[in-house]
Amino acid sequence: MSTKTPTEADILRPIQNTSKKFFVLFAVCALALGAFLVAWMYQLQQGMIVTGLSDWGSGGGVTWGLYIGAFIWWVGIAHGGIILSAAVRLLGMDRYMPVARLAEMLTLAGLSAAGFYILVHMGRPDRMVTSVLGHYHITVNNSPLVWDVTVITAYFVLTATYLALTLRYDITRLRDQLPDHFSPVYDAMTLGYSEQEDQIIERMVWWLALAIIIMAPLLLHGGVIPWLFAVLPGMPAWFSAVQGPQFLTIALTSAISGVILVAAAFRRAYDWDHIMTDDVFRGLLLWLGFFCLLFLWLQLQQNVVGLFAAPIDTAVAQEATLFHPVYLLSMGLVFGTLVFIFAQTIRPALFTRLRAMIAGVLVLFATLIEKLLFVVEGFMHPTFEIYAATPGEYFPSAIEWLSLLGTIGMVTLFFLVIAKVVPVVELHAIEHLRGDHGHEHEHEPVEESTKKPEVEA
Amino acid sequence: MSTDDESFHPLGEEWENDLEGMLDDTEYDTDLGMEMAEDAMRVTKGELSEADFHEKYHEDVMEEFGEDNRPTQEAYENAQEEAKGTFSSMLEKFEGDGEEPRRDVMKKMGAGAAAVGLGAWATVDDGDQQALAAAQDEDDESGAPGADEGDVQWGMAIDLERCDGCLSCVTACSTENNLDQGVNWMYVLEYEDAGAPSSTSRNRLVRPCQHCTDAPCEKVCPTTARHTRDKDGLVLTDYDVCIGCRYCQVACPYGVNYFQWDEPDVSTDEIADVHGVEPGEQGDHMTSEDDRWVDSRAPRGTMSKCTMCPSRQDGHMGDEAVGTTACEEACPPDAIQFGNMNDSTSDPQAYAGNPSRGRTLAQLNPPSADELEEDLEDADDDLESVIEATDLEEDELALLIAVEITGENMGEGDGDIAEYEEDVQEVLDALSDHGLDLESQELLSQLDLADEPDLAEEGEGDEEGVDTDEEEAGDENGDDENGDDENGDDENGDDEEDEEDEEEEADDEDEEDEDEEEFEPDEEAAQFLLEQFAGTPASNFKLLEDVGTNPNIIYLGNEPGPNAEQTEPTGTGVRYEDLSYERADGESVSLVDNRKDVLDEETVGDAGVSL
Repeated sequence: MSTKTPTEADILRPIQNTSKKFFVLFAVCALALGAFLVAWMYQLQQGMIVTGLSDWGSGGGVTWGLYIGAFIWWVGIAHGGIILSAAVRLLGMDRYMPVARLAEMLTLAGLSAAGFYILVHMGRPDRMVTSVLGHYHITVNNSPLVWDVTVITAYFVLTATYLALTLRYDITRLRDQLPDHFSPVYDAMTLGYSEQEDQIIERMVWWLALAIIIMAPLLLHGGVIPWLFAVLPGMPAWFSAVQGPQFLTIALTSAISGVILVAAAFRRAYDWDHIMTDDVFRGLLLWLGFFCLLFLWLQLQQNVVGLFAAPIDTAVAQEATLFHPVYLLSMGLVFGTLVFIFAQTIRPALFTRLRAMIAGVLVLFATLIEKLLFVVEGFMHPTFEIYAATPGEYFPSAIEWLSLLGTIGMVTLFFLVIAKVVPVVELHAIEHLRGDHGHEHEHEPVEESTKKPEVEA
Repeated sequence: MSTDDESFHPLGEEWENDLEGMLDDTEYDTDLGMEMAEDAMRVTKGELSEADFHEKYHEDVMEEFGEDNRPTQEAYENAQEEAKGTFSSMLEKFEGDGEEPRRDVMKKMGAGAAAVGLGAWATVDDGDQQALAAAQDEDDESGAPGADEGDVQWGMAIDLERCDGCLSCVTACSTENNLDQGVNWMYVLEYEDAGAPSSTSRNRLVRPCQHCTDAPCEKVCPTTARHTRDKDGLVLTDYDVCIGCRYCQVACPYGVNYFQWDEPDVSTDEIADVHGVEPGEQGDHMTSEDDRWVDSRAPRGTMSKCTMCPSRQDGHMGDEAVGTTACEEACPPDAIQFGNMNDSTSDPQAYAGNPSRGRTLAQLNPPSADELEEDLEDADDDLESVIEATDLEEDELALLIAVEITGENMGEGDGDIAEYEEDVQEVLDALSDHGLDLESQELLSQLDLADEPDLAEEGEGDEEGVDTDEEEAGDENGDDENGDDENGDDENGDDEEDEEDEEEEADDEDEEDEDEEEFEPDEEAAQFLLEQFAGTPASNFKLLEDVGTNPNIIYLGNEPGPNAEQTEPTGTGVRYEDLSYERADGESVSLVDNRKDVLDEETVGDAGVSL
């Protein structure tokens, strides 16, 4: 595809050059985040009444809405980033090495957005420390919400440690070309570095990756997040053992989509087509297709079980979901994406990077509205669905919608800033692409098959 | 544990002394208990066979504990329940002795010996911790004062068939707690139930918080703000701790929670002012006995729900308000019975145990004993004269006597029902004092509460007498819940009774001579009279019992099915918007059935559509 050879200069370009477009994008994102921060201040001043939420029951509304839906969505996006990176390290999927660090950063950014949503959603966020930490030893035994906070925090710490450790290698070697005004940051990050540590760090990071790859499906999106809902017997729309696997597949689809979008943006901005090759995008797209398939498969399970001869409350809830336009739209988008991805594997000419990005956007949109509906539907069809004169009604308020723009702005800002401080592509990846590396390659069959068309092209 | 420790128990001397102390606290022979415990340890070490152990103490145990039902038995059985794993493995060891059923042996061993002896055994089988826990449980159960009654658990019996939908409870609650509009801690709704079998009973539901024993809202709370009070089982929210995550509302299967989405209408100063104290002081209708802010409307950003009036239960509103709630007090037809669910004589339990009787008591309005005495001054002591001279009707008198006949513990307990019973008792005593023989068969038969006396002499009445005894035995077990069935039997006539009676004939002959003295009022007839007067509820249920929340509200009436749907307009006897309630700020506002109407006014960018 490209005859250019990846160099250190390539990965330093974001740090050394700042274009006008960067400032424009920065301003737009800052504006979005700023606007939401103002809106949040207003919410803090007025109370949660500024949202479209109400009490379920005789309150005629839903208790949780877009804030919680978006929270789950961001955790889902955050989820896949580090998994992808860990898979590169553990399973030798070196092909994705150029996007691994971006994926790790997406994890940190996504978790930050999710954490922010927890605060935004609360009636008394000022009591987070005293009320939650103060009773942690008691509540951790039974409150799924405390499990959530625990696992998300642990996940954030693991990911941040992982990133910090792997950055030491790069920063030390590129130190001369990095801007001096950040030197305190670099000094702190490379404190006590010596070349002997490389191997040890490598081993530590391997174990961290193992911990992350075990923890993510078992505890995070396959565990504590779905358990927030799945363990409540009074809400048939949620009460199901399938929620764990289902949440995981949704998380993975949205995460891969997120990585596709971030990688495509960086490739375009810094002419990295020789680093983040089409090959990488084809591979990611195929993974996206695979997870979309799992997603739809688990939805099928829920519909068949919930509609065939289910208890009344479950049947009512599932039927309401199945015929909800938002649900149909979401499933349609995922299915359409799936069809496209499988078509382009059979006929490689169908692939373009733009289409890959569109697929990513559509899947992210589909998972967002699916999560929103999932949260809301639970309240609309509880087992005790007697409140027919005050049925659950909900539409997000302007402030809630603004929170989406705000957090997307926040995550983009995170990338804009971090790209100015540290290399977002691993030095290892450049060395690997140049061929001056000691690692062995183990390409999976999937990769082989998709590589051929690229060579032809 | 040091090796020079002379104790026999693996947990050491200190533990042993504790056990000895426990035994000292019991009325049983401490030495015997300790001796048995020591030998029990030997059994676990294999130094003594189980059969030998049993034989060695059999006589002592018989002598010490006998066969009677000792007061410790219940405590022991409770401990057995709680430490099933530990104790059942113990019990298996008794099975092999081939002499007596193991349960009997256990009874004879008594609580004290069981705690020590079995505890020692368990240390080998299940480890020290469990033994310790088992013994501890034993201690808690038997050692606490008044353990027989169990702890207080406030709850309600709500008679949906007595509710006339006036919403007095809703307004009373809103006033008492200064709630915002739409925050209907107490909610009454009427529903249609497609597919449910047609019933004569109304489809109406009165829905306060169920104050579940296994409250899911408390379980999921990330802060312990939602808590169950140890002292009386009320499920409350500590407004100073709640972070407003609303997970309790999500987890509650009944939809009883109301979040404080904005600043509440009435300030804490205004609330405290009404009660004449400063906010934060006891008696401000916000602060509980243990100094937690749990009562009245919630502050902004926290969760609220029906509290069952902790300020009343803590005695802050006077002693007479303890054991009452605002809604119960306000209810004109006495459809709400509030009280201790762990006490069989409490209002809710007595009422739910025999709803017809409870309804009758609530509806009867007998003249006071003083009035009666005044009226009866110059009257004769036969029934006609008494009825003539007083305001009492014959029907009413029959009901009063029926209430007494069906009451096991007239006037016991401290609820309204006990008070009603006292009134009834006083009336009946006054009549007795006047000379009316309320226990005579003649009078009772006149009131349809017994058969004609002349029939008894022919022998048939005799059989009836025996039959009555049988019924009584049945009632003790069944607690009168099957009022309908009894009616059914009654109406089926005498055929069945005759068949049953033949078996009893031998006994009948023995008792024939004592017939006159042995006459007992016909409890079945009394119950029938009460049921005819007050009716029996369509069913007796708890809401969503299979969800496992163990709610503390018993409903009497129609149970809403899974297809039940609230009807419009909401409100039942009267519409919500037609009623208003006053609050501490002196203003009156109208009730709102759908809170969303209020909240939507402040929503920023309300699109007016719904997902």
